[in-house]
Amino acid sequence: MAQIFPKWTLKAPLYVAAALPIAGAAAVGAVWYYGSPEYTDVGYRPVQPVPYSHKLHVGEFGLDCRYCHASVEESAVSNIPPTKVCMNCHHVAARESELLEPIRKSAAQGRPMRWVRVHNLPDYAFFNHSVHVGAGVGCKSCHGPVHEMEVVTQVEPLSMGWCLECHRDPGPHLRPLDAVTDMEWTPTGDHNAFAEQAIADRGLAPPEDCTGCHR
Amino acid sequence: MSAGNGRQPDKTYWRSLEQVQGDSRATEFLHREFPEGASEAPPALLEDGLSRRSVLAMLGSTASLAGLAGCDVIRRPVEHIVPYVDAPEGMVPGIPLAYATTMPFGNRALGLILKSHEGRPTKVEGNELHPFSGGASGVWAQSSILDLYDPDRSKTVRFGDQASSWNDFVSAWTEGDLAPAADGAGLAVLAEPSSSPTLLRLKSALLERYPQARWVTWQPVSDENADRGLESAAGDHFHALFHLDAAQVLLSLDSDFLSTEGDSVRNLRGYARARRVGDNGASEMLRHYAVDGVHSVTSANADHRLRVQSGRVAAFVAQLGHAVAAHGLELPLNGGVPAADIDDAWVQAVAQDLVDHRGAGLIVAGDRQPAEVHAAVYALNSALGNVGATVTYHQTPDTGSSSDAALTDLVAAMNEGAVDRLLVLEANPVYSAPADLDFAAALENLNSAGAVIHVGTHRDETSRYARWHVPLAHYLESWGDARATDGAASVVQPLIEPLYGGRSAVEVLALAALGEARDGRDLVRETWSELLGLPLDDGAGAEAPVQEDADAAAADGSEEADAPPVDPMSLPFPVALSEFEVAWRRVLHDGVQDGSAAPAAELATVTPEDCAAAVRAAGDAANPVVEGEELEVVFRCSAAVFDGRFANNGWLQELPDPITKLTWDNAALISPATATALGLENEDLVTVSRGERELEMPVWLVPGQADHTVTIDLGYGRDFDGRIASSANDEDHNPGRNAYLLRTSDALHVGRCALRASGGSYALAQTQDHHSMEGRPIVREAALDYFEEHPDFATAHSEKPHENSMWDEWTYKDSPQWGMTIDLNACVGCNACVIACQSENNIPIVGKEQVREGREMHWLRIDRYFSSEGESDGLVDDLPHDPQTNFQPVPCMHCENAPCEQVCPVSATVHDDEGLNAMVYNRCIGTRYCSNNCPYKVRRFNYFNFTKDTPEVMHLGKNPDVTIRSRGVMEKCTYCVQRISRAKVDAKQDGRPLADGDVVTACQQACPAEAIRFGDITDAASQVVEAKTSPRNYNLLDELHTKPRTTYLAKIRHPNREIVPAPAPVEDHGAADDASHGEDAH
Repeated sequence: MAQIFPKWTLKAPLYVAAALPIAGAAAVGAVWYYGSPEYTDVGYRPVQPVPYSHKLHVGEFGLDCRYCHASVEESAVSNIPPTKVCMNCHHVAARESELLEPIRKSAAQGRPMRWVRVHNLPDYAFFNHSVHVGAGVGCKSCHGPVHEMEVVTQVEPLSMGWCLECHRDPGPHLRPLDAVTDMEWTPTGDHNAFAEQAIADRGLAPPEDCTGCHR
Repeated sequence: MSAGNGRQPDKTYWRSLEQVQGDSRATEFLHREFPEGASEAPPALLEDGLSRRSVLAMLGSTASLAGLAGCDVIRRPVEHIVPYVDAPEGMVPGIPLAYATTMPFGNRALGLILKSHEGRPTKVEGNELHPFSGGASGVWAQSSILDLYDPDRSKTVRFGDQASSWNDFVSAWTEGDLAPAADGAGLAVLAEPSSSPTLLRLKSALLERYPQARWVTWQPVSDENADRGLESAAGDHFHALFHLDAAQVLLSLDSDFLSTEGDSVRNLRGYARARRVGDNGASEMLRHYAVDGVHSVTSANADHRLRVQSGRVAAFVAQLGHAVAAHGLELPLNGGVPAADIDDAWVQAVAQDLVDHRGAGLIVAGDRQPAEVHAAVYALNSALGNVGATVTYHQTPDTGSSSDAALTDLVAAMNEGAVDRLLVLEANPVYSAPADLDFAAALENLNSAGAVIHVGTHRDETSRYARWHVPLAHYLESWGDARATDGAASVVQPLIEPLYGGRSAVEVLALAALGEARDGRDLVRETWSELLGLPLDDGAGAEAPVQEDADAAAADGSEEADAPPVDPMSLPFPVALSEFEVAWRRVLHDGVQDGSAAPAAELATVTPEDCAAAVRAAGDAANPVVEGEELEVVFRCSAAVFDGRFANNGWLQELPDPITKLTWDNAALISPATATALGLENEDLVTVSRGERELEMPVWLVPGQADHTVTIDLGYGRDFDGRIASSANDEDHNPGRNAYLLRTSDALHVGRCALRASGGSYALAQTQDHHSMEGRPIVREAALDYFEEHPDFATAHSEKPHENSMWDEWTYKDSPQWGMTIDLNACVGCNACVIACQSENNIPIVGKEQVREGREMHWLRIDRYFSSEGESDGLVDDLPHDPQTNFQPVPCMHCENAPCEQVCPVSATVHDDEGLNAMVYNRCIGTRYCSNNCPYKVRRFNYFNFTKDTPEVMHLGKNPDVTIRSRGVMEKCTYCVQRISRAKVDAKQDGRPLADGDVVTACQQACPAEAIRFGDITDAASQVVEAKTSPRNYNLLDELHTKPRTTYLAKIRHPNREIVPAPAPVEDHGAADDASHGEDAH
């Protein structure tokens, strides 16, 4: 009778023992990477009910962010504009556009638009736009080059580690207060010196405690 | 378990009878963190074949399946943002707005500020500008936000069993079969007392249009007796207003003016201010005597208490009148004969004290006492010169006080067939009318011939008999108005459109009175046009109500004293507003009409001679001491659900009673001596019988209750489709028993009953023995004279903490550093802070069964300790019957050296730079080590997902700034970190440093007694530092070296040394402290 197990099986435990740590490491690494917001969230670009182009409105027409997102300087929430804000221009501009039909319908019927949220934090994290804008952190730091986006896309992971990077060293993200919404702004001169000065002048002490964001 | 440091020597402190007797369940609570089996699933789950482990296994598999999703940048679920079409002016998403409004309560009013997030009212706070709130609020105001979202509220107009509509109802009234006879014959309105000027106007209009119509004002629990007594003595209808802050001696007669009666918020503030002591004492501290048979919040706070049966208070008054008259006062009350059950020396001492403090004393009689007692109290106050000083009387228009006689007449008329249209406004007489009237039968009689129209918030007991039912709008969703006790008028401003299509009382009444459906806002504005004396200008300003955020409102309030009346909402563009519009907006903004209070009335100083005879009659002949087989029964409104109207409010059902600490139930409360005599123990079922009427309910022993008496809370045992009021927390019974079934016209408040054990027992859920603190010197107190000699008594005998910690202690570098003080001398245990905390922090209720397991979630609890002179040997027979009572609110102490942090394996509870002991929910894995290691037992664990089944409409009332916690997560007081954060952001935006008073925690905000102070302990000028430098300041369990940020100010009592002689100094009375508590748990 032939042997049931061929000879190479004698070494099988050895192979398995050697492979296990590698497989384990791969598994950990896979979860680490594929489970992180960097992988799961960056690049999220849902289809919106109206293909509103930030590239056109901001990049080409030069609209300020705050024309639509008006509450960003005073509230925790940066608002999505009411339909009436769209209609401020569109009752004259591009009146016939088919793409704008949902907007006109919303305005006429008084039914709100349902936009799809792109930048989403967990419910237990309480982010406040107004303090960040007030501190001189540019919109671009978190939302990326919106003025180049045909479709708004999440470009940063918005993970806690990512938040803390800036909270521990806010300098690189600080701007003059009048350049917060400027998509084209680039640091001039000695940015480190500017940042140091800005931190002192604006009394910035970004919290690194849990209570800073979690309540 | 003897007295601790610095207190009166030889006092025994105990929390419950079980503890003194060494009951096993109580002992178990003492020794264990959570009772045995607390981590098992409830029986209901187990019966379905699910054990905790199998649930865990299922959870695990679900989680792994969920992991398969989300491998692409596709987010599930997709979240939507739904902006306005046309944003309302002044509304900024994410910034809550604050509106002034008013909570009408009977013929009283409480000014409130409502916080609204994107149109959803979320939090009630007191209105600083309203004189009856002063910024504070009570339990019922705080919890009214939950009533607004009550998913069981009536949602449609109903005709019989069918859904109908408001329009159908209107046409039925105007042209259909509901239309009353031209002169109103047969039309009757049954309404609750109200001080609403608009309701009063419409009432007059109704009676003018239908002269034969009958208007009955009635409420099951009211101040009718006080009204009638005052009317008989002073000859007219007045409202009494107490000025407790001006009083130095106070005698309360079966009164609960600090909690359930009268203007309790205002009274409590005055009381606490009058009882304030400086750092070295102050001899003008208010001294409080109480005479009653029912242990209430008010009597529990008295310096001296005479325990008599409620029916004997009249005899006491006669005797007091005699004693006072002996001091040469003109008083028609002399001639009282000392009664055997009333300690004459006590009466003489009180009389002496009252006479010594003429013009600075005050006698207050409770609503349960008969009118004669109120008349006599008026005579006494008047003779003692207190009228005008500590009590003033105001004549203000209202719709009339509650009248039980009128209700009896109405029922008679209904039975005779003299009524064919009965409009029941808000009241629920089928449930709460005296049992002998048999209101339900009267309604049935009437229904065959006529029609009952029920206007109520719920489809309740009464609506079952109604042909028409109209849903009543909540006060937070309808226009209205109200006057406070002194006549100060304010507008009830809606915060939201009626959620369920309800109509306000004035709208329904307008239909009845004017014959047409009118908008509530127009009705109120018409009234106010008269009140303000300005013509209504319909053209201008028909826009949204005035809106301002909280800070603007507060700032506005402080500086407006001498500012000219300007448009409070300075619009960015010029608008011509009519004079009325400006004044109206001012009233809406402030929440009260300036100068609308009626001046104090001059009352007749000579009181009728027959006061004395009446009181004596009420005291001796009519109400002798109850002895033998019979017991005295006292019906009182519940401190939680009032007369039953709040029975569907889960926060209130789960709110521990201040004295008994019972939740979810009422019980027959008896004294320990009576229990011994009858051979009863806690939770034994008894049958309370009054003639034919019987009610089976459990008994509960209450030290301080008069012997031979039974007290039963009204408002329980509701029978309607409410998921809280009628939810089967027990298979056989709704929460509590309906005591109205025993209450008859001849014994509305006090009567006779018999009690017999009916065998068996009924499980009650109480929070009393949970979280015991091992008999250490927790509450510290001293008499005023002792305090004056030993200002350092609170800390003098403290065990020295060991200064060395096993851990590196946290160092604090920056400001602010948050801290809190709780003044035990101010706190009366009213529970307002508990509900405020629950509302602010989205704290769930857990249900009766879970409370029994010790799983209640209140972040802030109020411990109640009884104390007594001398040692007790642990037998009921030897228990002191007249205990002193202490209340102690206990939130998280935010220890600098926190034991919880040291044991958390996942760093879910950590310190922050400002001294907060933070709880990070999403890190918590639920080991509960922290709770085990917390010496203060302030951590709460989510054994289940208590919010999972919350109806969706209730989500609207949650505070969006606070995370909703899920199952398996520990939680606790955060010092309202969301408020700290908001204050910091606001200060930053205004470009100013954070000032003292910018952060007000929810409990501090609600507290009528101003017992809680919160602020930066590195700011030497802050209020909290001022409190912490008081010699009365002490750390709870200082010996553990936890260095708590929350500290307490010791309680001071102000005994009359004529009654209680000063104790001989005792040198060492702390030594035997741990004799009965040898356990060294921590």
